[in-house]
Amino acid sequence: MITPFQVACKNLLRKKMRTWLTLIGIMLSSWVLVSLFGFNRGYESALNRDIDNLGCQLMIMAKGCPYEAATLMLQGGQGLRYIEESMVQKIAREPEVERITPILMQAFFDPNKGESGGIAGFYGVEAASFPAMKPFLRFKNGGWFKGESAAEVVMGYEAAELEQREVGDFTLVPEKNVRLKVVGILERTGTQDDGTIFVPLKTLMKISGTDKITTIGITLKKDADQAKLENKLYQLPDLQVVSFSQVKQTIMKLVATARVMVFSIALVALLISMVGVVNTVLMSVLERKQEIGILKTMGAMPRDIFCLVWTETLILCSAGGMLGIAFALIFARVTDLLVRRILPYAPSGGLVEIDAGLALLTLLVIVAVGLASGIYPAWRAGSMRPLESIRSE
Amino acid sequence: MADHEMALEVRELVRVYRRGSEEIRALDGVSLSIPKGEFISFMGPSGCGKTTLINLLGCLDNPSSGELSLGGKPIFGAGKQLSETELTLLRRQAFGYIFQNFYLIPTLTVRENVALPLAFYRKPGGEGEAEVDRLLGLLGIEHRGEHLPREISGGEMQRVAIARALVNRPEILIADEPTGNLDSRRSAEIGEVLQEINRAGLTVIMVTHSPGLARLGGRIVEMRDGRAFEE
Amino acid sequence: MPMYLLRIVFLALLLCSTGTLPALAAVGCGLNDPDRDVPRLFPESTSYLTSYSSIAQRGGESLRKKIENRLGNRYLTLYAPIDAPYTFYEIYRDKKRVGYIHGVNQKGQFGGIQVFVALDLSGRIKTFYLQKITGSSAGKFRDAAFYRKFVGVSLRDFDGFDPASGKGSGRLAEIANPAPELDTDFYGILRGLKKNLILMDEFVFSAPWGKP
Repeated sequence: MITPFQVACKNLLRKKMRTWLTLIGIMLSSWVLVSLFGFNRGYESALNRDIDNLGCQLMIMAKGCPYEAATLMLQGGQGLRYIEESMVQKIAREPEVERITPILMQAFFDPNKGESGGIAGFYGVEAASFPAMKPFLRFKNGGWFKGESAAEVVMGYEAAELEQREVGDFTLVPEKNVRLKVVGILERTGTQDDGTIFVPLKTLMKISGTDKITTIGITLKKDADQAKLENKLYQLPDLQVVSFSQVKQTIMKLVATARVMVFSIALVALLISMVGVVNTVLMSVLERKQEIGILKTMGAMPRDIFCLVWTETLILCSAGGMLGIAFALIFARVTDLLVRRILPYAPSGGLVEIDAGLALLTLLVIVAVGLASGIYPAWRAGSMRPLESIRSE
Repeated sequence: MADHEMALEVRELVRVYRRGSEEIRALDGVSLSIPKGEFISFMGPSGCGKTTLINLLGCLDNPSSGELSLGGKPIFGAGKQLSETELTLLRRQAFGYIFQNFYLIPTLTVRENVALPLAFYRKPGGEGEAEVDRLLGLLGIEHRGEHLPREISGGEMQRVAIARALVNRPEILIADEPTGNLDSRRSAEIGEVLQEINRAGLTVIMVTHSPGLARLGGRIVEMRDGRAFEE
Repeated sequence: MPMYLLRIVFLALLLCSTGTLPALAAVGCGLNDPDRDVPRLFPESTSYLTSYSSIAQRGGESLRKKIENRLGNRYLTLYAPIDAPYTFYEIYRDKKRVGYIHGVNQKGQFGGIQVFVALDLSGRIKTFYLQKITGSSAGKFRDAAFYRKFVGVSLRDFDGFDPASGKGSGRLAEIANPAPELDTDFYGILRGLKKNLILMDEFVFSAPWGKP
């Protein structure tokens, strides 16, 4: 038994090329839309992941520009200004602080690295307090340093790979020519820890000939008032307090402009493809005037005809929407690569996260916009008088 | 509808069209009565108003003035204009239509075409799908059930149209130039079909140019300049 | 008609998503600045082509075992999985190929040694280049005079000489260590050269189906 839905489907198949072209238009705009939604969510969660991996929620550095501090830190760089080590004890006394660790970042020039030499960076950390800040770090081989002044290093996975080091091998600090023994190699984390060489703090201080540090990492107690602590810390002279929520906000602001622009483009693409839908359905309605008139003589009410035409719009939009989402899922990886090339900073890991909820949301948006645009052709069809339609050429 | 002996009655039916600033009186006061079971044909030159009249009789249009009763119930009168929805409700109860150009849906098979009205309206007490098979058999086209309109002849297409018009058991069949696109042999066949349907109790109201076809019916009304004349 | 067009479009999209990604090339085995380094190693060159090949692609597990046997090493490299892409540079003068450049990351005493060889079409060393080496007197290895000692060396020269033990005969045995306190690195460089030549031999010179 024939149903109005089947009639709608068969009507769309009448002009295959036209239907396909309209479908492709919707497919492309739904692809863009769902990828955008996915990126939106993926970027923020990847950013959170990266920041969580840093281990601490607050970092103290010597005074400098916040943007610079943020970018330098996230690229595993180094601040060139120093803080007194006594600051650590002072801040540790604050009630909100749960854990605190001093860090010294130093770089040395290696003339034999590359054509004209290069920088070798080292991270001086305290064996007693640093590992506690990053409990999720796993070792591929070996473990942390035995003593605070040991002549030892722990290497990130990629650093060890580049230097072809195993546990038990030695590495050399360029410029100072100090030998250090590799006691641990970390597993891959997907963060900048992979390229880091960790040295015991006191050892690095001795090698560099300084008793100062560059950074203090702080984790807060669970219900601590972060803003209150930050305010207290702001009072300390010559210190820069970087909170990661601030850093995240800065980065998100940088990304927001790009995002708004791309969303506008996606919206325009959606509207254009909807114009295509309206055109297709309207044209097919005008071509079928006589048929519509006949349907009315058979007892089809104006609302039946309205629904019939609206169903055609619905089929076009849902099919196109679903195709676009399917393609987006398949090529999420390609989209990921393209995005990384365009953005100033991209966190590690998958950037485009599309799940069922997001797919459904996109489909609903497409269908809703489609149905709204489809009202006019459907209304045109519904309100035709059978006489006019049948008599028309 | 079943009780009254008159299928349709009209009094002083007038239909005026406006074309720009011009007024055209397509129907200029037509009155007649059509009893149930009648086979009536309207003939006349083009522009005489026969098509306009049949459209009004078939409730496809509103008159400008005049009265119309369907089965004794007044439908049009005192200047009342019915909406498209109201007209549709009327039509599907009582009427079936066939036209010169058949107007079959090209993407549906013969069977689907005949069954199509059922997708929108099923008359209470009607047979539904069973009626489709019965009609295909009655009209001699059951072997064409799965074919598309482009695969069958003109005569067969009109039979499909007739089957479709009858699937909801109407009381009245409106036929507008049913043999206009057919050769003489097929025309004769369709004429026979219409006669048979009429004998079974259906009121047939037809417009035609063919005197031979008109004679099949028994009652012929001539139209000229918007008026009706009977011999 | 629209169907075959769609198939072409679909195939194109599919290929885009599955192409090999050079960003995953083995660590330490690519030239830092090929535009600068290629003309230095091949002064007569006019252009070069970068291509990637992995052991997995060219023979899989059996190829890996074969290479390890030839090397005489416990394993090929510490960190390279079987599908890590190796970078090859094909060097051209106008339309004619004139040679190859290929690098390996070799374990040295204090860090990785990045050994690059420039080979002519018969597999002989034209020159080699240490992109990176760690050690206070490691600079002695990056001397042009030291590089020159290896001009013309091919795999055959390693037949009579074992860089793992330092024992053997032939021209390689006669090359003196310019930095005697860095024995490990000296032999490391020689091992790196042998590894380089073997990989080039497997991937390019004796590959049954031709160039990578």
